Amino acid sequence: MGDNPVMRGISWFAEHFIGLFNESATQFAGLVTGILPLLMVMLTAMYAITTWIGEERVTRAIQWAGRWAVTRYTVMPFLAMLLLTNPMAYTFGRFLPERYKPAFYDSTVSFCHPITALFPHANAGEIFVWAGVSAGVMQAAPDKYATLAVLYFMVGLIVILIRGIATQWMTGVLIKRGGHEETFKRYDEAYAEGKIQGVAE
Amino acid sequence: MSYQTVKIVKGSGGWGDGLVLTPTDERHVVLSVTGGGVHPVAAKIAELTGAEAIDGFNTHVPDEEVMAVVINCGGTARIGVYPKKRLPTIDIYPGSPTGPLAQFITPDIFVSDVGIKQISLVDEATAAAAASAAAQTQSKEGGASDQSSTTTATATQERPKTVSQTQAEKGGLMSWVVRFGNFIGYVINTLLSSGRQALQIILQTVLPFMAYVGLLIGIVNYTGISQVLANSVTPLASNPLGLLLLSFIVAIPVLSPILGPGAAIAQVVGVLMGTQIGAGALPVQYALPTLFAIDGQVGCDFIPVGLSLGEAKPETVSVGVSAVLFTRMVTSPIAVAIAYLASFLL
Repeated sequence: MGDNPVMRGISWFAEHFIGLFNESATQFAGLVTGILPLLMVMLTAMYAITTWIGEERVTRAIQWAGRWAVTRYTVMPFLAMLLLTNPMAYTFGRFLPERYKPAFYDSTVSFCHPITALFPHANAGEIFVWAGVSAGVMQAAPDKYATLAVLYFMVGLIVILIRGIATQWMTGVLIKRGGHEETFKRYDEAYAEGKIQGVAE
Repeated sequence: MSYQTVKIVKGSGGWGDGLVLTPTDERHVVLSVTGGGVHPVAAKIAELTGAEAIDGFNTHVPDEEVMAVVINCGGTARIGVYPKKRLPTIDIYPGSPTGPLAQFITPDIFVSDVGIKQISLVDEATAAAAASAAAQTQSKEGGASDQSSTTTATATQERPKTVSQTQAEKGGLMSWVVRFGNFIGYVINTLLSSGRQALQIILQTVLPFMAYVGLLIGIVNYTGISQVLANSVTPLASNPLGLLLLSFIVAIPVLSPILGPGAAIAQVVGVLMGTQIGAGALPVQYALPTLFAIDGQVGCDFIPVGLSLGEAKPETVSVGVSAVLFTRMVTSPIAVAIAYLASFLL
């Protein structure tokens, strides 16, 4: 019976069909037991802390950080991601003059993966950019895992500063080239008068 | 006495659509079922509307006279009792529907994490609209309160007997203990509701992605595709120049918006690279530059949405999209270069 080529074909298929899903199930179980418990408790703690800190205090810190380029493209994106998480972090762009908004977005969105190395709750849905690569490091050199996490975070901060400044410059160039200067001058004046969108009160 | 209308919105950790309340001659009581006297939130509502704030622990008020109930409960009982009677309920603690009566806690009748700041006076124009809506809810409540009046009487009369309540009024050490207890209650309730929030994102986003990634890695590993992929990607990823090239490719303005969505591609490549590093095919030092090389396109699909979240003007969006896309071609390789240098610290 076992020599029948049809039967052998069927049993080969069955074996590998099951094998494929067994392998996938093993991978899934590894992900769930490896990452999920940490993520769950961390998310809980961070949500609670954000509630305790309160919205007004966060907003005030963000507005303060938005004043200077150095903090606008480091501290501000970090706080926005940490407290509002991806994708609500970009709403903090409303505190900035129009001409800085693209740079702030570029800077903030570029931090949405480096931040997961230390604060996985900030972008839990996209954790595997970091978790995928770091799982390999965990396997090959577990002692370097923590250093890698800190380095990813720190280099991330440097990179978003560079990106912010570069995009801010590029936005300026494009405003000039596209003949939008008059429009943006009007926006700047409106901002100077304190007409920030979204801060009605 | 002329009555005013107030609007109550949820706090930062709160739940519910918010309430618009106007007292009437029949319904003129803000019931404070918080313990330790009338809660400041109840007092504030009463002060703004012209209604009367009453401590529900000491005084029994018929449901027909109650305009709104202020509670401090994130647990099981009070949080559901009043919404079940269709009385507008304001919870001081952050909380979302839980407990055995969770199905009665609906966003139109319940709002949580409310402090003094969440209460504001509504001007005349909107008040008129709200009044008609309030009239509707009250006619609905009329029917419901008849049936529940018997249960109400027993429920409200039981409560004044709570030990903590009588102790709180006596002052001294016990009032301090009660206040401490209330504080602990607040802490625990925030943590519980955070836990619920965390579980929600894990169920809705993280677990489905894990299932997908698990299946993908399973197939790739089992069929040997990972070997093929490794052989083709490794030359690119196994030297700094290859990583620079990779980071430039993903940042090309035509490609980056396609590669971006959900970071799906970055995540899959990240997992594959991780597997290679784990297997020893790629040196550990390359982990850091790799993280930036595979992520040069981050957020490029999302620029208009992200900018409009920041309430940017249409002109800003049109300028901003090109500004971000073009600078990426330069900043993406720069990121890899910095990461490569930093990786020597590893």
